[in-house]
Amino acid sequence: MFAQFFGSYLLNSGLVTNKELAQALEDKKNTRMKLGVLAINAKLMTAEQVEAVHQAQATMDMRFGDLAVHLGFIKAEDVDTLLSQQPTDYLLLGQTLVNNGVLTNQQFETAINDYKQYHSLSDDDISNDQNAKLSQIISEFYHFETAENAKTYTAYLNLLFKNLIRFIGDDFTPLEASIVRDYDANYFVYQSISGNLNCETGIEGEEYQYLKFASRFAGEDIREIDDFAHAAVGEFLNLHNGLFTVNLSNDFGVELNLNPQDFKENETVAYANSAFCIPISFSFGIINFIISI
Amino acid sequence: MSFSNLTVMICDDSIFVRKKLKDYISSLGVKAVYEVCDGQEAVDKYMDYKPDVAFMDIVMPRKTGIEAVTEIIQMDPTAKIVMASSVGTQNHLKEALSAGAYEFLQKPISNEQIYKILEIVAKDVK
Repeated sequence: MFAQFFGSYLLNSGLVTNKELAQALEDKKNTRMKLGVLAINAKLMTAEQVEAVHQAQATMDMRFGDLAVHLGFIKAEDVDTLLSQQPTDYLLLGQTLVNNGVLTNQQFETAINDYKQYHSLSDDDISNDQNAKLSQIISEFYHFETAENAKTYTAYLNLLFKNLIRFIGDDFTPLEASIVRDYDANYFVYQSISGNLNCETGIEGEEYQYLKFASRFAGEDIREIDDFAHAAVGEFLNLHNGLFTVNLSNDFGVELNLNPQDFKENETVAYANSAFCIPISFSFGIINFIISI
Repeated sequence: MSFSNLTVMICDDSIFVRKKLKDYISSLGVKAVYEVCDGQEAVDKYMDYKPDVAFMDIVMPRKTGIEAVTEIIQMDPTAKIVMASSVGTQNHLKEALSAGAYEFLQKPISNEQIYKILEIVAKDVK
Protein backbone atom coordinates (compact mmCIF):
# COMPACT_ATOMS: atom_id res chain seq x y z
CA MET A 1 0.00 0.00 0.00
CA PHE A 2 3.02 2.33 0.25
CA ALA A 3 3.04 2.41 -3.56
CA GLN A 4 -0.29 4.26 -3.63
CA PHE A 5 0.91 6.89 -1.14
CA PHE A 6 4.30 7.17 -2.81
CA GLY A 7 2.41 7.79 -6.07
CA SER A 8 0.37 10.47 -4.35
CA TYR A 9 3.59 12.05 -3.05
CA LEU A 10 5.07 12.13 -6.56
CA LEU A 11 1.86 13.69 -7.86
CA ASN A 12 1.72 16.36 -5.16
CA SER A 13 5.42 17.13 -5.65
CA GLY A 14 4.73 17.83 -9.32
CA LEU A 15 7.18 15.10 -10.39
CA VAL A 16 4.51 13.22 -12.33
CA THR A 17 1.20 14.16 -13.91
CA ASN A 18 -2.07 12.36 -13.25
CA LYS A 19 -1.88 10.77 -16.67
CA GLU A 20 1.72 9.59 -16.27
CA LEU A 21 0.95 8.10 -12.86
CA ALA A 22 -2.21 6.35 -14.07
CA GLN A 23 -0.24 4.91 -17.01
CA ALA A 24 2.57 3.71 -14.72
CA LEU A 25 0.10 2.08 -12.31
CA GLU A 26 -1.37 0.26 -15.30
CA ASP A 27 2.04 -0.71 -16.74
CA LYS A 28 3.66 -1.85 -13.52
CA LYS A 29 2.03 -5.30 -13.74
CA ASN A 30 4.48 -6.12 -16.52
CA THR A 31 7.49 -4.33 -15.08
CA ARG A 32 10.61 -6.25 -14.19
CA MET A 33 12.88 -4.69 -11.64
CA LYS A 34 16.32 -3.58 -12.72
CA LEU A 35 19.34 -3.73 -10.49
CA GLY A 36 19.99 0.01 -10.72
CA VAL A 37 16.71 1.04 -9.07
CA LEU A 38 17.08 -1.70 -6.44
CA ALA A 39 20.62 -0.50 -5.64
CA ILE A 40 19.51 3.15 -5.40
CA ASN A 41 16.64 2.21 -3.09
CA ALA A 42 18.96 0.18 -0.85
CA LYS A 43 21.46 3.06 -0.90
CA LEU A 44 24.12 0.67 -2.20
CA MET A 45 24.67 2.85 -5.28
CA THR A 46 23.96 6.47 -6.11
CA ALA A 47 21.96 7.51 -9.15
CA GLU A 48 25.18 8.95 -10.55
CA GLN A 49 26.92 5.56 -10.28
CA VAL A 50 23.95 3.84 -11.94
CA GLU A 51 24.14 6.30 -14.83
CA ALA A 52 27.91 5.70 -15.08
CA VAL A 53 27.31 1.94 -15.39
CA HIS A 54 24.68 2.53 -18.10
CA GLN A 55 27.13 4.66 -20.02
CA ALA A 56 29.92 2.10 -19.62
CA GLN A 57 27.55 -0.63 -20.89
CA ALA A 58 27.51 1.19 -24.24
CA THR A 59 31.16 0.27 -24.75
CA MET A 60 31.50 -2.93 -22.67
CA ASP A 61 29.45 -6.07 -23.22
CA MET A 62 28.79 -6.85 -19.55
CA ARG A 63 25.67 -7.25 -17.44
CA PHE A 64 24.76 -4.32 -15.17
CA GLY A 65 25.66 -6.14 -11.93
CA ASP A 66 28.97 -7.50 -13.18
CA LEU A 67 29.96 -4.11 -14.52
CA ALA A 68 28.96 -2.27 -11.34
CA VAL A 69 31.13 -4.72 -9.35
CA HIS A 70 33.94 -4.35 -11.91
CA LEU A 71 33.80 -0.55 -11.52
CA GLY A 72 33.94 -0.91 -7.74
CA PHE A 73 30.50 0.63 -7.10
CA ILE A 74 29.01 -2.37 -5.32
CA LYS A 75 30.07 -5.71 -3.82
CA ALA A 76 29.22 -8.96 -5.61
CA GLU A 77 27.42 -10.30 -2.52
CA ASP A 78 25.23 -7.18 -2.38
CA VAL A 79 24.25 -7.76 -6.01
CA ASP A 80 23.20 -11.33 -5.13
CA THR A 81 21.19 -10.08 -2.14
CA LEU A 82 19.39 -7.45 -4.22
CA LEU A 83 18.58 -9.92 -6.97
CA SER A 84 17.15 -12.44 -4.50
CA GLN A 85 14.70 -9.95 -2.94
CA GLN A 86 11.06 -9.81 -3.94
CA PRO A 87 10.39 -6.42 -5.52
CA THR A 88 8.02 -4.30 -3.47
CA ASP A 89 5.14 -2.52 -5.11
CA TYR A 90 6.43 1.03 -4.70
CA LEU A 91 9.73 0.02 -6.30
CA LEU A 92 7.86 -1.49 -9.25
CA LEU A 93 6.07 1.85 -9.58
CA GLY A 94 9.38 3.72 -9.45
CA GLN A 95 10.95 1.36 -12.00
CA THR A 96 7.97 1.79 -14.33
CA LEU A 97 8.21 5.59 -14.12
CA VAL A 98 11.93 5.35 -14.92
CA ASN A 99 11.23 2.92 -17.79
CA ASN A 100 8.52 5.23 -19.16
CA GLY A 101 10.98 8.14 -19.14
CA VAL A 102 8.89 10.06 -16.61
CA LEU A 103 11.59 10.05 -13.92
CA THR A 104 15.37 9.88 -14.20
CA ASN A 105 17.30 7.66 -11.79
CA GLN A 106 18.43 10.87 -10.08
CA GLN A 107 14.84 12.09 -9.60
CA PHE A 108 13.78 8.66 -8.31
CA GLU A 109 16.67 8.66 -5.83
CA THR A 110 15.78 12.11 -4.49
CA ALA A 111 12.06 11.36 -4.33
CA ILE A 112 12.35 8.03 -2.52
CA ASN A 113 14.87 9.40 -0.02
CA ASP A 114 12.75 12.50 0.68
CA TYR A 115 9.62 10.39 1.04
CA LYS A 116 11.22 7.94 3.47
CA GLN A 117 12.74 10.79 5.48
CA TYR A 118 9.49 12.77 5.61
CA HIS A 119 7.58 9.84 7.08
CA SER A 120 10.54 8.37 9.04
CA LEU A 121 10.23 5.14 7.07
CA SER A 122 12.83 2.40 7.00
CA ASP A 123 13.16 -0.11 4.16
CA ASP A 124 11.83 -2.76 6.51
CA ASP A 125 8.71 -0.67 7.24
CA ILE A 126 7.95 -0.39 3.54
CA SER A 127 8.86 -3.93 2.53
CA ASN A 128 6.61 -5.49 5.12
CA ASP A 129 3.71 -3.02 4.80
CA GLN A 130 3.96 -2.36 8.55
CA ASN A 131 0.46 -1.56 9.78
CA ALA A 132 1.50 1.02 12.34
CA LYS A 133 3.53 2.92 9.74
CA LEU A 134 0.69 2.73 7.23
CA SER A 135 -1.66 4.16 9.84
CA GLN A 136 0.83 6.95 10.53
CA ILE A 137 1.07 7.81 6.83
CA ILE A 138 -2.71 7.76 6.43
CA SER A 139 -3.24 9.98 9.47
CA GLU A 140 -0.55 12.45 8.30
CA PHE A 141 -1.78 12.45 4.73
CA TYR A 142 -5.39 13.23 5.63
CA HIS A 143 -4.65 15.48 8.65
CA PHE A 144 -7.00 13.43 10.80
CA GLU A 145 -5.51 15.01 13.91
CA THR A 146 -8.30 17.60 13.52
CA ALA A 147 -10.99 14.92 13.73
CA GLU A 148 -12.54 13.80 17.00
CA ASN A 149 -12.30 10.11 16.05
CA ALA A 150 -8.89 10.28 14.38
CA LYS A 151 -7.97 6.68 15.23
CA THR A 152 -11.22 5.27 13.91
CA TYR A 153 -10.95 7.24 10.66
CA THR A 154 -7.40 5.97 10.23
CA ALA A 155 -8.38 2.36 10.92
CA TYR A 156 -11.31 2.68 8.50
CA LEU A 157 -9.09 3.96 5.69
CA ASN A 158 -6.23 1.55 6.39
CA LEU A 159 -8.69 -1.30 5.82
CA LEU A 160 -10.37 0.47 2.89
CA PHE A 161 -7.12 0.70 0.95
CA LYS A 162 -6.44 -2.98 1.57
CA ASN A 163 -9.92 -3.88 0.39
CA LEU A 164 -9.57 -1.69 -2.70
CA ILE A 165 -6.37 -3.56 -3.57
CA ARG A 166 -8.07 -6.90 -2.87
CA PHE A 167 -11.38 -6.33 -4.68
CA ILE A 168 -10.91 -3.48 -7.17
CA GLY A 169 -7.23 -3.20 -8.08
CA ASP A 170 -4.02 -1.54 -6.95
CA ASP A 171 -3.93 1.10 -9.70
CA PHE A 172 -5.11 3.97 -7.52
CA THR A 173 -3.75 7.11 -5.94
CA PRO A 174 -5.22 8.72 -2.81
CA LEU A 175 -5.92 12.45 -3.33
CA GLU A 176 -6.28 15.25 -0.77
CA ALA A 177 -9.44 15.02 1.34
CA SER A 178 -11.92 17.79 2.02
CA ILE A 179 -14.51 18.32 4.75
CA VAL A 180 -18.12 18.50 3.58
CA ARG A 181 -21.52 19.22 5.15
CA ASP A 182 -23.74 19.19 2.08
CA TYR A 183 -22.46 16.88 -0.61
CA ASP A 184 -23.74 17.06 -4.19
CA ALA A 185 -23.77 13.41 -5.22
CA ASN A 186 -24.06 12.03 -8.74
CA TYR A 187 -24.41 8.29 -8.18
CA PHE A 188 -24.18 7.39 -4.55
CA VAL A 189 -24.41 4.24 -2.45
CA TYR A 190 -24.50 4.65 1.32
CA GLN A 191 -24.64 2.60 4.49
CA SER A 192 -24.78 3.57 8.13
CA ILE A 193 -23.14 1.76 11.02
CA SER A 194 -24.65 2.09 14.47
CA GLY A 195 -23.81 1.05 18.01
CA ASN A 196 -21.03 2.35 20.25
CA LEU A 197 -20.03 4.48 17.27
CA ASN A 198 -22.26 5.98 14.63
CA CYS A 199 -20.82 6.17 11.13
CA GLU A 200 -22.21 7.30 7.80
CA THR A 201 -20.33 5.83 4.85
CA GLY A 202 -20.80 6.22 1.12
CA ILE A 203 -19.25 5.75 -2.31
CA GLU A 204 -19.91 8.32 -5.03
CA GLY A 205 -18.90 8.89 -8.62
CA GLU A 206 -19.90 10.18 -11.99
CA GLU A 207 -21.60 7.73 -14.33
CA TYR A 208 -18.55 6.40 -16.18
CA GLN A 209 -16.35 6.02 -13.10
CA TYR A 210 -19.18 4.54 -11.03
CA LEU A 211 -19.86 1.93 -13.72
CA LYS A 212 -16.15 1.10 -14.00
CA PHE A 213 -15.91 0.66 -10.23
CA ALA A 214 -19.01 -1.56 -10.24
CA SER A 215 -17.62 -3.58 -13.16
CA ARG A 216 -14.28 -4.14 -11.46
CA PHE A 217 -15.96 -5.42 -8.32
CA ALA A 218 -18.50 -7.56 -10.18
CA GLY A 219 -15.86 -9.00 -12.51
CA GLU A 220 -18.13 -8.29 -15.46
CA ASP A 221 -18.84 -5.36 -17.74
CA ILE A 222 -21.71 -3.28 -16.34
CA ARG A 223 -22.77 -0.71 -18.92
CA GLU A 224 -25.74 1.08 -17.47
CA ILE A 225 -26.74 2.51 -14.15
CA ASP A 226 -29.44 0.26 -12.79
CA ASP A 227 -30.21 -1.63 -9.58
CA PHE A 228 -27.51 -4.18 -10.39
CA ALA A 229 -24.83 -1.48 -10.77
CA HIS A 230 -25.85 0.16 -7.49
CA ALA A 231 -25.97 -3.26 -5.79
CA ALA A 232 -22.44 -4.08 -6.98
CA VAL A 233 -21.01 -0.84 -5.57
CA GLY A 234 -23.18 -1.32 -2.47
CA GLU A 235 -21.86 -4.83 -1.92
CA PHE A 236 -18.27 -3.58 -1.95
CA LEU A 237 -19.25 -1.01 0.70
CA ASN A 238 -21.11 -3.68 2.67
CA LEU A 239 -18.16 -6.09 2.58
CA HIS A 240 -15.75 -3.39 3.63
CA ASN A 241 -17.97 -2.12 6.44
CA GLY A 242 -18.57 -5.69 7.58
CA LEU A 243 -14.85 -6.38 7.85
CA PHE A 244 -14.39 -3.03 9.62
CA THR A 245 -16.97 -3.94 12.27
CA VAL A 246 -15.35 -7.35 12.74
CA ASN A 247 -11.95 -5.68 13.28
CA LEU A 248 -13.37 -3.24 15.82
CA SER A 249 -15.12 -6.07 17.61
CA ASN A 250 -11.99 -8.26 17.70
CA ASP A 251 -9.47 -5.53 18.50
CA PHE A 252 -11.41 -3.20 20.78
CA GLY A 253 -14.51 -5.13 21.83
CA VAL A 254 -16.66 -2.47 20.13
CA GLU A 255 -19.91 -4.01 18.90
CA LEU A 256 -21.50 -2.35 15.89
CA ASN A 257 -24.42 -3.10 13.61
CA LEU A 258 -24.62 -2.49 9.89
CA ASN A 259 -27.80 -1.14 8.38
CA PRO A 260 -28.96 -2.06 4.88
CA GLN A 261 -27.24 -0.07 2.14
CA ASP A 262 -29.25 2.16 -0.19
CA PHE A 263 -28.56 4.49 -3.11
CA LYS A 264 -29.36 7.98 -4.39
CA GLU A 265 -28.94 9.63 -7.77
CA ASN A 266 -28.25 13.33 -8.32
CA GLU A 267 -29.12 14.46 -4.82
CA THR A 268 -27.52 16.63 -2.19
CA VAL A 269 -26.63 14.59 0.87
CA ALA A 270 -26.61 16.55 4.14
CA TYR A 271 -24.38 15.50 7.06
CA ALA A 272 -25.36 16.63 10.57
CA ASN A 273 -21.73 16.26 11.60
CA SER A 274 -19.25 17.15 8.93
CA ALA A 275 -17.91 14.33 6.77
CA PHE A 276 -14.60 13.65 5.10
CA CYS A 277 -14.70 13.36 1.33
CA ILE A 278 -11.83 11.06 0.33
CA PRO A 279 -11.22 11.10 -3.43
CA ILE A 280 -9.31 8.16 -4.90
CA SER A 281 -7.97 8.43 -8.41
CA PHE A 282 -8.11 5.13 -10.34
CA SER A 283 -6.84 4.64 -13.87
CA PHE A 284 -10.50 4.97 -14.97
CA GLY A 285 -11.14 8.19 -12.98
CA ILE A 286 -12.06 9.43 -9.53
CA ILE A 287 -14.29 7.69 -6.99
CA ASN A 288 -15.17 9.53 -3.76
CA PHE A 289 -15.54 7.87 -0.38
CA ILE A 290 -17.60 9.90 2.08
CA ILE A 291 -17.15 9.07 5.74
CA SER A 292 -18.59 10.67 8.84
CA ILE A 293 -17.78 9.08 12.21
CA MET B 1 -21.24 -35.21 -7.41
CA SER B 2 -24.77 -34.72 -8.71
CA PHE B 3 -26.94 -31.92 -7.34
CA SER B 4 -29.87 -32.62 -9.64
CA ASN B 5 -32.28 -33.35 -6.75
CA LEU B 6 -31.31 -30.28 -4.76
CA THR B 7 -33.46 -27.19 -4.25
CA VAL B 8 -31.85 -24.00 -2.95
CA MET B 9 -33.25 -20.70 -1.69
CA ILE B 10 -31.21 -17.49 -1.76
CA CYS B 11 -32.26 -14.64 0.52
CA ASP B 12 -30.37 -11.36 0.13
CA ASP B 13 -31.56 -7.79 -0.41
CA SER B 14 -28.73 -7.22 -2.90
CA ILE B 15 -29.65 -8.12 -6.48
CA PHE B 16 -25.91 -8.34 -7.11
CA VAL B 17 -25.37 -11.01 -4.46
CA ARG B 18 -28.48 -12.94 -5.53
CA LYS B 19 -27.41 -13.00 -9.17
CA LYS B 20 -23.83 -14.07 -8.41
CA LEU B 21 -24.99 -16.85 -6.09
CA LYS B 22 -27.74 -17.96 -8.45
CA ASP B 23 -25.42 -18.04 -11.48
CA TYR B 24 -22.95 -20.27 -9.68
CA ILE B 25 -25.47 -22.58 -8.00
CA SER B 26 -27.47 -22.97 -11.24
CA SER B 27 -24.28 -23.87 -13.08
CA LEU B 28 -23.93 -26.90 -10.78
CA GLY B 29 -27.14 -28.36 -12.19
CA VAL B 30 -29.40 -28.10 -9.13
CA LYS B 31 -33.12 -28.84 -9.51
CA ALA B 32 -34.28 -25.31 -8.59
CA VAL B 33 -32.98 -22.00 -7.21
CA TYR B 34 -35.48 -19.66 -5.55
CA GLU B 35 -34.74 -16.01 -4.82
CA VAL B 36 -36.23 -13.88 -2.06
CA CYS B 37 -35.32 -10.27 -1.24
CA ASP B 38 -35.51 -9.99 2.54
CA GLY B 39 -36.22 -11.85 5.77
CA GLN B 40 -39.97 -11.25 5.59
CA GLU B 41 -40.24 -12.73 2.10
CA ALA B 42 -38.10 -15.68 3.22
CA VAL B 43 -40.55 -16.41 6.05
CA ASP B 44 -43.56 -15.94 3.73
CA LYS B 45 -42.24 -18.21 0.98
CA TYR B 46 -40.21 -20.78 2.89
CA MET B 47 -42.96 -23.38 3.33
CA ASP B 48 -44.00 -23.03 -0.34
CA TYR B 49 -40.48 -23.68 -1.58
CA LYS B 50 -39.30 -25.98 1.25
CA PRO B 51 -35.70 -25.80 -0.06
CA ASP B 52 -33.10 -28.39 0.90
CA VAL B 53 -30.81 -25.54 1.88
CA ALA B 54 -31.09 -21.74 2.09
CA PHE B 55 -28.38 -19.09 1.98
CA MET B 56 -29.43 -16.07 4.02
CA ASP B 57 -27.97 -12.60 4.55
CA ILE B 58 -28.28 -11.02 8.00
CA VAL B 59 -28.55 -7.28 7.34
CA MET B 60 -31.76 -6.78 5.38
CA PRO B 61 -34.71 -4.38 5.44
CA ARG B 62 -38.14 -5.37 6.90
CA LYS B 63 -36.84 -8.45 8.70
CA THR B 64 -33.23 -9.42 9.47
CA GLY B 65 -31.79 -12.82 8.65
CA ILE B 66 -31.59 -13.72 12.35
CA GLU B 67 -35.30 -12.95 12.86
CA ALA B 68 -36.18 -14.90 9.73
CA VAL B 69 -34.18 -17.98 10.80
CA THR B 70 -35.86 -17.95 14.20
CA GLU B 71 -39.31 -17.98 12.58
CA ILE B 72 -38.44 -20.52 9.89
CA ILE B 73 -36.97 -22.95 12.43
CA GLN B 74 -40.25 -22.76 14.38
CA MET B 75 -42.12 -23.76 11.19
CA ASP B 76 -39.56 -26.38 10.12
CA PRO B 77 -37.05 -27.51 12.77
CA THR B 78 -35.09 -29.45 10.12
CA ALA B 79 -34.49 -26.38 7.94
CA LYS B 80 -30.87 -26.00 6.79
CA ILE B 81 -30.13 -22.28 6.69
CA VAL B 82 -26.65 -21.01 6.00
CA MET B 83 -26.11 -17.47 7.23
CA ALA B 84 -23.98 -15.54 4.77
CA SER B 85 -23.10 -12.16 6.17
CA SER B 86 -20.50 -9.43 5.86
CA VAL B 87 -20.73 -9.01 9.63
CA GLY B 88 -18.88 -11.95 11.09
CA THR B 89 -18.33 -10.91 14.69
CA GLN B 90 -18.43 -13.52 17.45
CA ASN B 91 -21.72 -12.03 18.63
CA HIS B 92 -23.37 -12.39 15.25
CA LEU B 93 -22.06 -15.94 14.92
CA LYS B 94 -23.46 -16.90 18.33
CA GLU B 95 -26.75 -15.18 17.60
CA ALA B 96 -27.12 -16.96 14.25
CA LEU B 97 -26.27 -20.39 15.61
CA SER B 98 -28.52 -20.04 18.64
CA ALA B 99 -31.36 -18.98 16.32
CA GLY B 100 -30.90 -22.34 14.59
CA ALA B 101 -28.64 -21.55 11.64
CA TYR B 102 -26.99 -24.61 10.07
CA GLU B 103 -23.74 -22.83 9.21
CA PHE B 104 -22.25 -19.32 9.23
CA LEU B 105 -20.12 -17.88 6.44
CA GLN B 106 -18.54 -14.46 6.35
CA LYS B 107 -18.73 -12.65 3.02
CA PRO B 108 -17.12 -12.64 0.55
CA ILE B 109 -18.12 -16.27 0.04
CA SER B 110 -16.11 -18.33 -2.39
CA ASN B 111 -17.59 -20.82 -4.83
CA GLU B 112 -15.59 -23.54 -3.05
CA GLN B 113 -17.40 -22.78 0.24
CA ILE B 114 -20.79 -22.99 -1.49
CA TYR B 115 -19.84 -26.22 -3.25
CA LYS B 116 -18.75 -27.87 0.02
CA ILE B 117 -22.03 -27.00 1.70
CA LEU B 118 -24.10 -28.25 -1.23
CA GLU B 119 -22.05 -31.44 -1.25
CA ILE B 120 -22.84 -32.11 2.41
CA VAL B 121 -26.53 -31.28 1.99
CA ALA B 122 -26.83 -33.36 -1.21
CA LYS B 123 -25.73 -36.49 0.64
CA ASP B 124 -28.86 -36.23 2.80
CA VAL B 125 -31.22 -35.63 -0.12
CA LYS B 126 -32.48 -38.61 -2.02
